[in-house]
Amino acid sequence: MKSRILLAMPLLFVALGLSACKKGAEVVKPVEAFGTYDSEPDWNDSTKLVNLGYQEAQGKRIFYLYCVWCHADATPAGPSNRGNLTPVPPLLNDGEKLNGESDEFMQNIITLGGSALGKSAMMPPYGKTLSAGEIQAVIAFTRAIAQPPYQRPGRPGSQYTAK
Amino acid sequence: MPSEDMGKLTYRMRLAFAVATVICLLVLAISPVKDFRAEWKKYKRSFVRYAQGRPDTKKLLADYSPNIDQVWIPGMNVVDRCTTCHQGMTQPSLADASVPQPFRAHPPIPHNVREWGCTICHRGQGPATEIAEAHETTLAWEQPILPAHFLQASCGSCHHADLNETPQLTRGRELLSRLNCQACHKLNDVERPMLGPELSSVGYKVSREWIYKWLKEPRTVLDKDGNVTVNGYENGDESRMPKFRLKDEEIVALTAFLSAQNAQPIESYKINPAVVAAWNKKPDLLPQGELRFRQMMCTTCHPLAVTRAGETKLIGGNIGPELTKVGSKVNEAWLVSWLRNPQGYLAQNNMPRYGWTDEDLYKVSQYVMNQLTDSDLLTTVPKLEAATGDEIKNGKRLFLEKGCASCHSIAGVTPQKDFGPDLTALGSKNASELEFGKAKITHNLLSYIQAKLQDPVSVNPASRMPQYTWNPADLDAVTTALLSQTGPKPTSALQHLTVPKVAASYRAVGDFAEVYERYKCYACHRFNGYGGTLAPDLSYEGSRAQKKWITEFLRNPQTIRPTLILRMPQFNMTDKEVNIVAEYLALAVQKPDVNPQSVDARQFTPALVSMGKQLYEVKYQCQSCHTIGGTGGYVGPNLNNAGNWLTPAWTEAWLRNPQALQPDTIEPRRNLTEDEIRALTAYLMTLKAAIKPQSSTSAANASLAGQGAGR
Repeated sequence: MKSRILLAMPLLFVALGLSACKKGAEVVKPVEAFGTYDSEPDWNDSTKLVNLGYQEAQGKRIFYLYCVWCHADATPAGPSNRGNLTPVPPLLNDGEKLNGESDEFMQNIITLGGSALGKSAMMPPYGKTLSAGEIQAVIAFTRAIAQPPYQRPGRPGSQYTAK
Repeated sequence: MPSEDMGKLTYRMRLAFAVATVICLLVLAISPVKDFRAEWKKYKRSFVRYAQGRPDTKKLLADYSPNIDQVWIPGMNVVDRCTTCHQGMTQPSLADASVPQPFRAHPPIPHNVREWGCTICHRGQGPATEIAEAHETTLAWEQPILPAHFLQASCGSCHHADLNETPQLTRGRELLSRLNCQACHKLNDVERPMLGPELSSVGYKVSREWIYKWLKEPRTVLDKDGNVTVNGYENGDESRMPKFRLKDEEIVALTAFLSAQNAQPIESYKINPAVVAAWNKKPDLLPQGELRFRQMMCTTCHPLAVTRAGETKLIGGNIGPELTKVGSKVNEAWLVSWLRNPQGYLAQNNMPRYGWTDEDLYKVSQYVMNQLTDSDLLTTVPKLEAATGDEIKNGKRLFLEKGCASCHSIAGVTPQKDFGPDLTALGSKNASELEFGKAKITHNLLSYIQAKLQDPVSVNPASRMPQYTWNPADLDAVTTALLSQTGPKPTSALQHLTVPKVAASYRAVGDFAEVYERYKCYACHRFNGYGGTLAPDLSYEGSRAQKKWITEFLRNPQTIRPTLILRMPQFNMTDKEVNIVAEYLALAVQKPDVNPQSVDARQFTPALVSMGKQLYEVKYQCQSCHTIGGTGGYVGPNLNNAGNWLTPAWTEAWLRNPQALQPDTIEPRRNLTEDEIRALTAYLMTLKAAIKPQSSTSAANASLAGQGAGR
């Protein structure tokens, strides 16, 4: 009798050990959508959405406050100011014009204005109105919505994956 | 036990012990094996290999340790082991999207990740060391990661004041306030409830049939798909009245109760019969009424539906109710009385008390009663017999039970306190604390909130919450604002870190206070942080505008911005009132460091003026945003009349630093020298154009045409 109990004890241990190994319960998957912080419809194809991270989303907010009036064809107030200007300012998503410009150039022209870099004086300087971080955010947004898509210059990314 | 049996038993005992020992050792070995094979260790080793494949190996592995990494912030209950796997979190060189997760750097945010940890913003389980347990809802760990789309909810847990960086949260809080959620629920950081209209005398205003229709379907303007766009945006909530799930007999009882509400008779007013007789002979009474309606800019506050090419749109402001079919709603005597004195019917409302002539009153009220109508509006309403006493009694009971009394007050009806549940801690609820009923949704807080908002009975068949119509963006915004309601802060250490909401206050004084109340200036304009945001902030108007210009503007308001279709209504103020307002604005609301007398316009020489013109047109090309005489850009206000409008002192201060005067202005601050500032001011002061009296037909037609362009 006693020996049976003795034999049962280790079995109980095993059972306890195994049950501890088991996962708590079935894991409920979170909602698949909502994965991105913010999004912007592709300007050339409104059925497509461009996903935006935090910095790009801040860029979008600043763009729609300060830049949209001249660098887009539709504005929150209706008509765009773009047609009033010569030379006509590029659309913000115009990859053919803007992808070739470096981040430094973009940062400088937004900070110092067009006339400082030999471009149109109609582009005013925003260096005293926006912080450097805010200007970087606008550039990040430009890169995110560019058509054709923007390719970061330099070494291609590693092919290594974590798993 | 006999001694000879001892050996035998001992042998069996030994065997048992041997087996037990082996099993025990095996069981004990499970733990180290499990530990060795732990998911996080895999990522630790994997990160070393990844770092070795990159040129900046040494920098990446400078802080490396093979153990669990942890951010521990005792004051905030943060024990975050996320950086155990997310090892590149603060490595700038790993920011690129080609870096595989979980090693990618955190994108730049205003907070330092090492100081705040991860779960403060992302939620989830900080102390967990397995992927599923850290990120998802399991039985033991109930707080899942907050999807990135709703992250702004976490900002709102500490930042009670609105932030520019979190538009979704701000919109959500605005909706909670606008839809009056506070009337039934307790909420943090949401403005006090703006109650629905008082109904004590509603029996004088609308018919019982109209109340029936309204309770059945509170939205009166819908296109063929059941939607409308407001100012170009898809909008499902243009009516703040939600739909209640009422049975027909309940609606009949409620209409009986409401149409019997005749507490205070309306002040009846008889329009001069001579005016009526004179107008009734003319064929253009209604077109003239429409013209007057548009000239008075009623649409600045009240939207109207416009159907073009089969698409129905609401155009106009959102301060007052939509008026497309109001002629089929109210009775004429009530309308006339309301237009003359809105506060006579409802003590608290934002409609200004216009100065009416009998002629205008007749034209506009006839236009509203005859043109803003829909003959089909009440065709679906069944025939309602005279209300019986039982029906009225029943209606009163339903009025309380259904929660009507939480938003609408009626003399003699005391609403139930705390009608809906307290939601101040909803955002930190675990799934086990929520009822999901038979709803086939994921059992977590986010799905619960969204299901409840979209269809309250889907999660709780007995729910008394009415049915709202949401567009997807607003649904997510309200969800974000609700998720940010995380209740009292866990420790006192966090209390001093939270950013409180600043209460703005402003009190008009003297004679101005009376005019301010009469014309409800605060419905659109802001004074020292208090008031609406539709129209310019007037906190420093005395420093900005010349008194003579203010006087003329009040008599005859003009649009200063070229693309704006909303304009200040023409109130028909008396001369005395105009003087009171101009006097007050010019003297009492000044910016202390911009004294309008400090710059003497006499020193502006012609040479200075011509230099300013050159600077304006060539060097700074201000015409890219500002219009002068019909040419220039649409971004800033037109400067046609700048010399009469702005004070030289304000113009100089503005050119020096616009944001110092108006922090949210989009005009960029330039590197102007003092000489340039003086010259530009001299030039702008020469721009003078007389204000055209605005009562011609063409002006009203232009504003009508302009309305197609959106806001």
